[in-house]
Amino acid sequence: MSIARLRIENIDKTFNRTGKPGVEALRGINLSIEEGEFVAIVGASGSGKSTLLRIIDGLLEPSGGKVYVDGAAVTRPGRDRAMVFQQDALLPWKTVAENVAYGLTLARTPKAEADKTAQYFVNLAGLQGFEQHYPHQLSGGMRQRVNVARALAVNPKILLLDEPFAALDAQTREIMQTELLTIWQESKKTVVLITHQIDEAVFLSDRVVVFSARPGTVRQEIKVDLPRPRTLEMKRQPEFVRLVDEIWKLIEDEVRASLKQTT
Amino acid sequence: MRKQIFEFLEQDTRSAALVRLAVSLVSVLILWEVVATFVTNRLLLVPPLEVLNALIGEVKKGAMWENAIATVTAVGTSFIVSVAIGIAIGLSLASSKMLSLTAGPLLSALNSVPIIALAPLFIAWLGLGFASKFVLVLLVAVFPVVVTTEAGLRATDRQLIEAAKSFNATGLQIFSTVTFPFALPFIVSGIRVAWARALVGIVVAEFFGSFAGFGFAIMSASQTFDTARVLGYVIVLGAMGLIGSMIFEALQRRLAPWRQE
Repeated sequence: MSIARLRIENIDKTFNRTGKPGVEALRGINLSIEEGEFVAIVGASGSGKSTLLRIIDGLLEPSGGKVYVDGAAVTRPGRDRAMVFQQDALLPWKTVAENVAYGLTLARTPKAEADKTAQYFVNLAGLQGFEQHYPHQLSGGMRQRVNVARALAVNPKILLLDEPFAALDAQTREIMQTELLTIWQESKKTVVLITHQIDEAVFLSDRVVVFSARPGTVRQEIKVDLPRPRTLEMKRQPEFVRLVDEIWKLIEDEVRASLKQTT
Repeated sequence: MRKQIFEFLEQDTRSAALVRLAVSLVSVLILWEVVATFVTNRLLLVPPLEVLNALIGEVKKGAMWENAIATVTAVGTSFIVSVAIGIAIGLSLASSKMLSLTAGPLLSALNSVPIIALAPLFIAWLGLGFASKFVLVLLVAVFPVVVTTEAGLRATDRQLIEAAKSFNATGLQIFSTVTFPFALPFIVSGIRVAWARALVGIVVAEFFGSFAGFGFAIMSASQTFDTARVLGYVIVLGAMGLIGSMIFEALQRRLAPWRQE
C-alpha cells in the first residue's frame, strides 16, 4: 500500500477556555488524501473546518490524533504545506512582487533566486504589470491572486485554501475558480479547500468531504466524477446540480440549526 | 471660478497644502494688524511689523543665534533620547503582558501628572542649565511615544501574523517583517505629539532655570514689558512646532500610504 500524501488520523480538538467549559471543535477526524488530489471540505459554520485546516498547516496543535505528510508527522508549519488565507493577509507595505516572494524571503532564499521564482508565479497568476503595485491599489480578486501566487512560490506539496474567494463578488468568484483550476492543473499540487459554497466545492474538487457541526465530524465523502478540464457551463448540467443538491441535503438541517445558535 | 478654487484647496497635494498654509497665515496677520489698530496700548499688543523689527534686532545683536543654539541643542538631544527610550519601553510593554499589567498603571499615572509643574523641583535637583532642561523635556516627551508604540504593536492584524507563522517565520522575523512595520506609522504619530510637547517642556524649563534659550529670552523680555520681543520668540517656537509636525506627518504618509486611500 502506498503512503498517502496527506493522512489525518483521529484528530480531536477542544479549545480550553479559562473558567468556562471547553469547546469541542473536532472529533475523530480521519481522512486520507492522495498526491495531486483536490479535496473540498464543506460544512455549516461552526463545523471546525477552518480549525482542521490550521491543524494540517501546523498553526494549531490537535488535542488528539496526528497529521502525516508523506508519512511524516506534522508538528509545526513547514515548507511542504502552504496556506492561502481569506482576504487581507497580504503585507500592505510590500509590493505585489515582494508579497509573492515573502515565503521565500523568510526561508532566506538568495534574493536573485527568490525574485526569479516570484516573477514566475506573478506571471502564472496573471499579475504581470502589477509587480510594483501595493495591495491597496488592487481589486479583491487581484489580491487573492497574489495570495495564491505567494503560497505556490514556496513550492509546497500541499496547498491549503481557507475560503479563499469568500470575500469576492459572485462573478469574480466564478472567474477565480476557473483560474484556480488552470493553475492547479499546471502545478499538480495536492489541494485541500475549505468553503461554504457547495457549488464551488463540487466544481473544483475530486472529492467533497461533508462535515457535521459541533463537534465537527466527517459525515460523508462524496466523489465528484465530472470530467476535467471543467468549464463554467458544467454548473448547469444535471449531474452537477444533483451533486450540489445531495450535499445541500446533508447539511441543510445543521445550517438551519446554526442560524439559531450563538457562538 | 469659486468652485475651482475650493476644489484646488481641498486637493491632497503639496502645493495645495502650501497655499492653504499661506492663506491661513495671511488671514491671521491681517486680523492681527486690524486688532492692533484698535488696541493701541503697546504693552498689550504690538502689530506684526514691529514684532518683525524686534526679531531682526535680535538677529543683529546675535542674541537670536545664542538662544537658538541653547534651545535647539537641549531640545534636540532630549527629544531624540526620549524617542529612543519611548520606543524601547513601548516594545517591552508590548512583548510582556506581565510588565504591561504591572508597569502600565504606574506609567498612566505619571502621564497624567503635570510634570511641567515640577520644573522648579528638577532645577533644585539638577541645577541651572542643560541637565534640568534635558530631564524635563524627556519626561514630557517620552509618554506619547511609549503609548503609541505599545498600541501599534498590539494592533497588528492577526491574519498577517498567522500568515507569517504559516511560512514558518521565527519570532524575530515576525517582529521585523510584520509587527514593527505595522506599528511604525503609529510610532511616528506619537513622535509628532512628542515634538510638540518637547517644545513646551523646553520653554518652561528655560523660564525657571537657564541663562540662554528661547524660554529665557521670553521670560526676560516680558519682565521688561518688551511685548514685541515676547511675541517674536513665541512665533519662532511656533514655526519650529509647525515644521516638525509637517515633517512627521509627511513621514507618516510615506510609511503607511495604504491608510490614506
